Amino acid sequence: MKSDITKLDELNRREFITSAAKACLGVGLLPMAGSYIHNNVSALEPGSRPATARYVIYLNMTGAMSHLDTFGTNPEAPDIQGPTKSIATSADGVFLSENLPETARHMHNSAIIKTMVTSQGAHEQASYLMHTSYLKRGTIAHPTFGSWVSKLSGNINTTIPSNVQIGANPAGAGFLESKYGPLPIGNPSAGLANSKVADYLDETRFGGRLAMAQKMNASYLNQYDQKQVRAYSDLYKDAIKLMRSEDLKAFDITQEPEQMHELYGKSNFGQGCLLARRLVENQVRYVEISRGGWDTHDNNFESVAENCADIDKALSALLLDLEMRGLLKETMVVLTSEFGRTPKINPRDGRDHWPYGFTAFLAGGGVKGGTVYGKMDKVGRNPAEGKFIDPASLNATIAYAMGLPLKDVQYSPSGRPFTVAHDGNPLMDVLA
Amino acid sequence: MAGRWAVFLSVLVLLLPVIRAQEAFRTFTTNTGQAFAGRLVSYEGQTFYIEGKDKKLYPVPFKQLSANDQKYLIQVAQLGKVPKGDPRTLNKKDPSPTPSTDETAKDSDSTEEKIVAKPAPKPKPKLRSGSFFAYKPVNLGQDPSLALESKQVSVLPGPDEPVDFKRHVLPILEERCNSCHNAPYDKNGRTIHPKAGLRLDTYEWVMKGNLDNTVVEAGNLEDSYLYEVITLTEDDDMFMPPKGGALTPEQIDAIKRWIEEGAKPSAGTADTTSDMTNGISFHDHIFPLLEERCLDCHGEPYVKNGRTIHPKAGLRLDTYEWVIKGNLDGTIIEKGNFEESTLFAVITLDSDDPEIMPPKGDPLTEEEINMVKQWITEGAKENPTDTFDKPVENNVEIASDGVNKKESIVDLLAKRLKAPSKPQMEAAQKSGALVTLLSNRHSMIRAEFSSGPNLIKDDAIGALSGIKNNISHLDLSRTSVTDSVLGEVKKFNNLTWLNLKDTSVTDRGIQNISKMPYLTYLNLVSSKISDNSIETLASIKTLQEVYLWNSEVTENGIKRLRSALPDAKILF
Repeated sequence: MKSDITKLDELNRREFITSAAKACLGVGLLPMAGSYIHNNVSALEPGSRPATARYVIYLNMTGAMSHLDTFGTNPEAPDIQGPTKSIATSADGVFLSENLPETARHMHNSAIIKTMVTSQGAHEQASYLMHTSYLKRGTIAHPTFGSWVSKLSGNINTTIPSNVQIGANPAGAGFLESKYGPLPIGNPSAGLANSKVADYLDETRFGGRLAMAQKMNASYLNQYDQKQVRAYSDLYKDAIKLMRSEDLKAFDITQEPEQMHELYGKSNFGQGCLLARRLVENQVRYVEISRGGWDTHDNNFESVAENCADIDKALSALLLDLEMRGLLKETMVVLTSEFGRTPKINPRDGRDHWPYGFTAFLAGGGVKGGTVYGKMDKVGRNPAEGKFIDPASLNATIAYAMGLPLKDVQYSPSGRPFTVAHDGNPLMDVLA
Repeated sequence: MAGRWAVFLSVLVLLLPVIRAQEAFRTFTTNTGQAFAGRLVSYEGQTFYIEGKDKKLYPVPFKQLSANDQKYLIQVAQLGKVPKGDPRTLNKKDPSPTPSTDETAKDSDSTEEKIVAKPAPKPKPKLRSGSFFAYKPVNLGQDPSLALESKQVSVLPGPDEPVDFKRHVLPILEERCNSCHNAPYDKNGRTIHPKAGLRLDTYEWVMKGNLDNTVVEAGNLEDSYLYEVITLTEDDDMFMPPKGGALTPEQIDAIKRWIEEGAKPSAGTADTTSDMTNGISFHDHIFPLLEERCLDCHGEPYVKNGRTIHPKAGLRLDTYEWVIKGNLDGTIIEKGNFEESTLFAVITLDSDDPEIMPPKGDPLTEEEINMVKQWITEGAKENPTDTFDKPVENNVEIASDGVNKKESIVDLLAKRLKAPSKPQMEAAQKSGALVTLLSNRHSMIRAEFSSGPNLIKDDAIGALSGIKNNISHLDLSRTSVTDSVLGEVKKFNNLTWLNLKDTSVTDRGIQNISKMPYLTYLNLVSSKISDNSIETLASIKTLQEVYLWNSEVTENGIKRLRSALPDAKILF
């Protein structure tokens, strides 16, 4: 079976409608335990400490990015390094791969964790662990980090959802109410599909149809005047509010000038980053962008260089654009992958799956610029400096910067307790 | 004749127990090392009744006393020098000097540490009158009149008597408050914490309040939340105690008088002016003052509900070394020079100055201030006999983990202000603003217009005026505001962060904010600001970040601004 992650660069219509309806309208197609009923969107809850990162843009390199050829180079170990060279960056003593020359200019605002570790060596399970901090189980669906953000802190902008997923969709709100799940956007250039009133419907006809729907619902509403029934009519109101809102423009990157599109690069990922910046400007708290194509079992060095050209352009453009707009101080940009790739180069000039010592790149809000945490040994298997950092601790670090309550317990329908970052501890070394 | 002798003898026999010689005062030591002077009065079983010099009776368990004292007690008991039995039952006619029950005395004095493990007193079940269970059992051999006498839990102070915390106030709290506001205790392996994190079981805790605030302001009835909640109407949500009806008017009066008299630990304390003729000593004169007025905030770090509470401003005043050391901002004492000493400066500010210390309660009295002044002038010595230039021992470690971490302006501002009330916050939301505390332990507020900002006009800011001093972050980006809004914004004195990105604000509006005292972040991206505003921006010396990208400012203007604000990050 091919994993969803590699396949799902774009969503098909049915999947899109299902997840969009869940996120925007709070409607689950499998309503269980009444928890899917939409309440009025919760307003922002203050955290337990002032947030140093109000927004997070999470760049998810699916298929496992080769850390040794991107953010985790080790010039002292030429045996495992292969042909990839290291270059100096804007931060003293910090090196990046030569594949990332533009990103290197932003290193003074960024930090790298070089000793990430995960317990999973298969894409789907590892990606699940990265996103939820919990191991994938058959009995429960855990919420993704973005859903936790949405649940624990609420929306800043109450018109649009606070959790947006561009590209592949690793998991949803899990056992949390589906309104906290990510709003999926398949193609960033198309924006939020099916959110406009159709052309043939003018305002009067649209109003007429709504009135008719209300009339038909009226007797039912009168008979069953309950919170859950009323909530359904609220969904319509919220959806219409979004349809008519100026905030909908946030999803429309065609409003950006041409040189902006060029700055970010015309690839899906670049345009996704541009959309992410627009969304953060409109105070969406959590945006995740997926970029596939990293499963380089064969021909690693060429593929990585190709992929890096794309992400280097988009990432550096994003950091520059955020900084110019005064948003970088409050926006954390995270770039990581579900695991790394082997230090040993295989006979097909590729690298295979390697869960030890991969990297997480953090930049902007709440990040202590120019820091590198940890260092791997010459064979790339164990930390030579620092400790192994697991996915839960990475999530705890992000959650800490966002001011989320790490100890806040949410219960699954079966009554089991879960927290935003499971047993992770924030890594204070990389936080400002 | 023989008859008269017989009568005399029998009277003598009857009087014998009464005229038995009283035991002399001696010093008792507990096995925890506490010493107190007392006179053994009687004993019963393992309990010895000792009368203190204050004429109060202390029932002391035999085991709590030191070996030396135990030997003495055995000797006295064997020789029959003191009678057996509870002294209050022995001399029924003599009204006991402390009608307060033995429990209160024990709780408040002898066994402080044990409180932690003690569960809250169980609320008495309410029984229908005439119920079988409503009858109190009387033990065999016990005087029924004594057993049935309703236990008088609190002593009310006489009309002219100063209110004493332990004698008058604590019993009221114990009776009516401490079933919820007790020390944490262990119940079936779970720690039961006091409600609202508020303990009312000792003087220190009552004065400390909880994480929200203090509940007692000495001498200030209006700001004392404890008094407020017991005087609310009974149907109010916050009315205390929530069960069992209101306190009696006499009890409320006792608490009121106690607060008005300065909420002292015991009637007639706070006399710090002992003999100063030989010069001021830190330990005899200064420390008691610090202890009373400063250590609540500037004490040793301690753990409260699992969190470490650090001293405010990273400043500790609990030992001589710490007082001399000061905090990261510098020393607070310049030996011999009171004018240069920050400590002296902050206690002599005007009483309405936000920086005055102590921030709560009355300012220090003139005598106290003079004493501090004299102490500093004499060289801020630990002992008056020390020489002036006694080198300060430098081995005191600066407390780690962030006690002295330099605080941001926002955090410093937050300490001066209380968080606004919920109705105030709700009123502020009326204009479409989203108003949130920076964190739930912070009193500063971020106000932003996130949803549908294009509908926000200049008048929207009016709704924020009720909480304007608390607003540290104001986001007007993307809104339809014009220059005139800045005329209002300039009244937001404590603003540190202002975002005017994507607005039609021009140079004319910006002039308004030139005098803002704490502004550190200013975002003018995509606004109509031009080089004419450079002078205004350059005059805001607190600025650390200025964003001018896509505005009408030219390279030349940026150059001027960068030279005027060399340390600021200026992007364009």
